Amino acid sequence: MKNYDYEKHVKGESQFVDDLLTPAGLLYVHIFTASVAHAEILKLDYSEALKSRGVVDIITAQNIPGENQIGGIIQDEPLLADNEVHFIGQPVAIVVADTVLHAKEASGKIIIEYKNLPVITDPRLAFQKGELIMPPRLFACGDVDNTWSLCDHIIEGTTESGGQEHLYLETQGAFAYPLESGGIKIVSSTQGPTQVQRAAAKVLGFPMNKVEVDVTRIGGGFGGKEDQANAWGAIAALAAWKVKKPVKVILSRQDDMRMTGKRHPYSSDFKIGLSKEGKILAYQATFYQNAGAAADLSPAVLDRTLFHAVNSYYIPNVSVTAISCKTNLPPNTAFRGFGGPQGMFVIEAALFKAAEIMGVDYHKLQELNLMEEGDSFHYGQKIENSTIKRCWDETIKKYDVDSIQKRVDEFNKNNKLYKKGFALMPVCFGISFTNTFMNQASALVHVFSDGSISVSTGAIEMGQGVNMKIRQTVASVFSVNIDRVKIETTNTTRTANTSPTAASAGADMNGKAAEIASRNILDKLIKVACDKLNTKDPSLITLKNETVFCNNKPELSWNQLVQVAFNTRTNLSSHAQYAVPDIYFDKDTNTGKPFAYYAIGSAVVEVTLDCLRGLYEFDSVKVVHDYGKSFSYVVDRGQTEGAIMQGLGWMTIEEVIYNENGKLLTDALSTYKVPDIHFTPKEIKIEFLETVENGAGLKGSKAIGEPPLMYGIAAFFAILNAMKAFNPHKEYKLSSPITPEKVLCEMYSENVTVPA
Amino acid sequence: MKKEINFILNGEKVNLEVAPGEILLEVLRDKLGVKSPKCGCNKGDCGTCTVMLNGKTVRSCLVLAIEVNDQEVVTLEGIMHSGLTPLQESFLKHNSFQCGFCAPGMILSATELLGKNPKPEKREIQEAIAGNLCRCTGYSPVIDAIIDLTN
Ligand code: FES
Ligand code: FES
Repeated sequence: MKNYDYEKHVKGESQFVDDLLTPAGLLYVHIFTASVAHAEILKLDYSEALKSRGVVDIITAQNIPGENQIGGIIQDEPLLADNEVHFIGQPVAIVVADTVLHAKEASGKIIIEYKNLPVITDPRLAFQKGELIMPPRLFACGDVDNTWSLCDHIIEGTTESGGQEHLYLETQGAFAYPLESGGIKIVSSTQGPTQVQRAAAKVLGFPMNKVEVDVTRIGGGFGGKEDQANAWGAIAALAAWKVKKPVKVILSRQDDMRMTGKRHPYSSDFKIGLSKEGKILAYQATFYQNAGAAADLSPAVLDRTLFHAVNSYYIPNVSVTAISCKTNLPPNTAFRGFGGPQGMFVIEAALFKAAEIMGVDYHKLQELNLMEEGDSFHYGQKIENSTIKRCWDETIKKYDVDSIQKRVDEFNKNNKLYKKGFALMPVCFGISFTNTFMNQASALVHVFSDGSISVSTGAIEMGQGVNMKIRQTVASVFSVNIDRVKIETTNTTRTANTSPTAASAGADMNGKAAEIASRNILDKLIKVACDKLNTKDPSLITLKNETVFCNNKPELSWNQLVQVAFNTRTNLSSHAQYAVPDIYFDKDTNTGKPFAYYAIGSAVVEVTLDCLRGLYEFDSVKVVHDYGKSFSYVVDRGQTEGAIMQGLGWMTIEEVIYNENGKLLTDALSTYKVPDIHFTPKEIKIEFLETVENGAGLKGSKAIGEPPLMYGIAAFFAILNAMKAFNPHKEYKLSSPITPEKVLCEMYSENVTVPA
Repeated sequence: MKKEINFILNGEKVNLEVAPGEILLEVLRDKLGVKSPKCGCNKGDCGTCTVMLNGKTVRSCLVLAIEVNDQEVVTLEGIMHSGLTPLQESFLKHNSFQCGFCAPGMILSATELLGKNPKPEKREIQEAIAGNLCRCTGYSPVIDAIIDLTN
């Protein structure tokens, strides 16, 4: 089925924040930012800048009427730097002018003097110095300390995983204008309108009802527009309030890259103990999370690292600690997977290393330790309706992993300068926000007197197809043609107190809320039909294909039914809330049932490595994934492929580099490489596991946004295997991304001669 | 000092004054209200600003507005005459885009390719699209849509 919501895309008619009509008299903002990573501000002089052509106003922390604070989980992030700066790119002043160019020119005339303070960019160093965002978090089960002596193999090591730039193609932005009521309306490119509303209200000293936030769609988010969209919305609102005119802020690509946080880099230590058969008996890890200069979403990301520290494996004794370290980098934030990928990378690295030392196949060790139905995770939740083994077995069978192995070995025997490698990756990813209270959504549905339907929810369309899923859900409740259903913009005056569209749960939760609201109206319509058709038994009334049947006899059209309902003064609107049932988590003991269900699957990745140039090409990525009862094959497939590409990119070519002064060196698309069309694996196969309906998901489906990203982790180990085939005697670092440059440095670091 | 320029935009004559430093992308979007070309990087790296200049794709963020004086510019708005082109239909059928931000540029690059080469090989498609980044899809539905159309 094609996704009709995307017709606008192919016509070029989809409107993003910078495309929308704006009120007359629009002004533009350039943000003056910190040029050093840690310093005291000794002087800030913008008198010359104020005189610059076109400038209307310059706003600093001193002009903020409310609180200079946009921190979400922890109140530690000023909107505009005051006295001190904590990272390069931190907003210091807002220059408002008649054009972007003039605002930029004026910004160049602002004089700032600093007294430099020590800069920390390394999380382990931050830890040593006691620079933490919050106290360390520990999840544990069993008794690790007393298990080591029972292990036949104990392997220890260190891993690094790099940051990742979101690179949503639409950069961050918002515009705002004063309202007649004295309030402010913000049109924002955000995944979390309520979060923007809250931040702007706080900065302006307004109650939340005086700030309205509206979102049409966003040009990619991937987590980067969750909390990180707040600043730009608040800046636009603050400026609009101060100058009493509409004001727009659109970040240039370079500013976006410099000023916004990314996926958290992690540096981690692990210790894993196994029996001689290869069963994992104990696992210990310490994750040093590079949080950047403020908390942002780091505490929640940290928790998800701990939840997913054992990936899909059953380990009886676990002790994992995560430490959120404060550094002088832009505050790192949500990115598809939300800390889960970072946790999974470490357990996979531990197993890879263990396999190497024990002289067994890595994937055999993975297989041996997969969870069984009813096994518990280290935080207490049992896995139910597990498809972990089924997905894995199907992957092995369907894609004939034995013959892949043979093919790879054969190739490696016959080729000196090219080597192949492959690796498997099981993924088990919990669905729900790990902060239980966030697992709620609401929807407002109107049926108009002409039979058309309008739906508002808290979900943001960012390409993941949530609007189409909700449209389809509502249309099927009323049994009407999908064309009757319109999804409105996401607006805080229609749906309040919403959670951001994140955690892969947007469609599940908002779709269910829309379903409940629609059913409320349907119940009333059925009553109307009973009265009209003189029956007392509502079970005799059914709606099918826009027609009302009584006792299987067609009686009324949808339009007639709605008209009768309207004439008899029936409420044709409903607002409903959905709260995910049966989930809880105790943050003191770190146990509970935090997830509504798990998204599960397995993949095998094959790579060919050019051992002279360090370049690699993915021969194939083959997946077996449990989609529940898939809502839409094309949407699910699209999400899967897109996530895999981002996962491959994260593990391989995408490298975020800061120098020791905290300056981002990869601040353009010419220096930061994201997958282009040449990077596409030669073959992608995605198999939908035949499975049962998932009761906890929307219409039996399963969330799909994040989980497949982690299949990308197999790319790292596939490349490592190819490197091992080239030089088996070298111990390779477990450090991602494994860029072509790093491949060469690693393979040739010990006077390896190129085979003739 | 402003200069008057005349050019054909999507089949219609346009006349306006521009400063020598003004960029075509900004003039199209902000002065002429043509919004399908997007600004993804402003540096020639992403391809979201792609338009056709005399039948060839260019990055409009790298073109000065005065350069198009007496030339012909076509944006995605200008390639549709009676409804969607078969290429657009095929992109729609294959769900080739997700957030849609890259779509206008990508479609113009593909349109140019098919104009020159009605039956491109996969490799040729990749070459033609290589300058258009997409962060959402993984590109295979773009390739599939083009191949499907040409078969
Ligand atoms: S905006 Fe022109 S190439 Fe990116
Ligand atoms: S569809 Fe989002 S960038 Fe291509």
